[in-house]
Amino acid sequence: MSVLGVRIFRVELRDELRAIVREPTSLFFSILMPVGFFILFNLLYGHGSTQGLSAGTAMVATFGTYGVITVAALQPGIGVAQDRDLGWLRMKRVSAVPVGISLAAKATAALLYGVGVLLLMGVAAAAFGTLDASPWALLRVAVVLLLGTVPFTLFSVAVGLRFRTGATIAMLNAVLFPLAVLSGLWIPIRFLPSAVKHIAEFLPTYHLAELGLAQLGDGSALLHVLALVITTVVAGTVAVMSYRRARI
Amino acid sequence: MGTTRVVAAEGLRYRYGETVALDGVDLEVGAGECVALLGPNGAGKSTLVTIVVGLRAAQEGAVRVLDGDPRRAATRRRLGVAQQTLGFPNTLTVQELVTGAAIRGGLRGSAAGPVLAELGLTDLARRRVAKLSGGQKQRVQLAMALVTEPALLVLDEPTAGLDTSARRHFWQILARRREQGTAVLVTTHLIEESAEVADRVVVLDHGRVLADAPPEELVARLPDRTVTARTRLGRGELERLPGVLSVTPEHDHLVKIQTRAPEELLRVLLDRDPDLSELRVRDAGLEEAVFALTDGGTAEEVAA
Repeated sequence: MSVLGVRIFRVELRDELRAIVREPTSLFFSILMPVGFFILFNLLYGHGSTQGLSAGTAMVATFGTYGVITVAALQPGIGVAQDRDLGWLRMKRVSAVPVGISLAAKATAALLYGVGVLLLMGVAAAAFGTLDASPWALLRVAVVLLLGTVPFTLFSVAVGLRFRTGATIAMLNAVLFPLAVLSGLWIPIRFLPSAVKHIAEFLPTYHLAELGLAQLGDGSALLHVLALVITTVVAGTVAVMSYRRARI
Repeated sequence: MGTTRVVAAEGLRYRYGETVALDGVDLEVGAGECVALLGPNGAGKSTLVTIVVGLRAAQEGAVRVLDGDPRRAATRRRLGVAQQTLGFPNTLTVQELVTGAAIRGGLRGSAAGPVLAELGLTDLARRRVAKLSGGQKQRVQLAMALVTEPALLVLDEPTAGLDTSARRHFWQILARRREQGTAVLVTTHLIEESAEVADRVVVLDHGRVLADAPPEELVARLPDRTVTARTRLGRGELERLPGVLSVTPEHDHLVKIQTRAPEELLRVLLDRDPDLSELRVRDAGLEEAVFALTDGGTAEEVAA
């Protein structure tokens, strides 16, 4: 990236972060809700065990997945849709701001949200005494989950480029919540009907959570990585097509 | 001024499906020149502007802006654009918006200070844009367009929402920039205002250029005169008088009458209405000239 590109990225990221800090209502859905759920389930079931792990530790991966995809799937798409509605995206295009830089700034801001979510969950689990993993394993979980947001961010941007803000919010939420439930992010999948397990195997959220769990135990990661790579390619293609057809 | 071509477009054509937006449009804007694009809604002004600022490629024809391709980022960074429909992110302050525009244009953020002062925005610099009035937002947008010292300013309805004093101040700022060589392409519905500030007006309708001339030249081509008077005669009666082209009632029996034979009309008017008052006769303005062009009534005469 050129020096000018870096400077533009910094401005774009700064604007995104200002929006987060100055519009705290968005924090509710993006941070407080996932962390609140995590705390509730941790208090209720955190001291149990699942897949050879303490339930509280496993929840860092499953609720962590829910937390990071909430921000990755909602924030960038809603931001893009708002910018389009305002004419702000058009202004950036006229100003020769590379669209990739603008979107990268939105994705980075969402990642920082994600880091906040994971930190709060980790601190909460430690405080409740349900966290039983090495710092190295927890760091791997965090890195895997944050990298795993890429396809969700791409999908989010694809929706934001095609629909107005209200429709984007509705559509992304309509996709996000079933994904979370059917992938066993709130309730472990073994407690759900067996049909759900079969559906979950086709969902990227399930594979991301399993990839996170694999960092804490002995599970194999290969299949889950493959599933996420395929999802990223598909989401990337959809995002590119969406951009080409977008009315900016 | 005006000898260096900042915008040079030839034979631009653009269609949206079956709808022809531009049908062989030529446009030139020279350095330091102010050109007003006029025409009714759907005339093709917006499509032309989006091609000039590089947001769209012409389907036929060629356009050069600052001797480069407007689709290239390096060319677009030398433009300043203010669009009427722009909304700002409500979370940012005036200072942050203008500083951001400077950096996006390849300058330092400190370039914002002098422009904020020039536009009288220094006291509002720390205020969030959501708390500004429409006129103040308009000035912020202009500051964002000016902060990069553009060689070409493209302005869409730049004075909409500004009061008279702010308008005058706005055009004074632009005059200073034009003296330094900045070219201005402006689209506006305030036709009489463009008559005062534009070196040339380009009248578009149905995607074609109907006229491209200095405003005074366009007005001179139109033989119409406007007679204004307070009269008890009704609209129908007035429309039947000799040489009357159109009648526009204003208020309290005040009417504006468009005519090509003012002397004859005045004789008849005074004869039929001895109480006639507030009588005024003036040459047609640019608004009438543009209306005549786009309405087709006397278009051939004005375009000649």
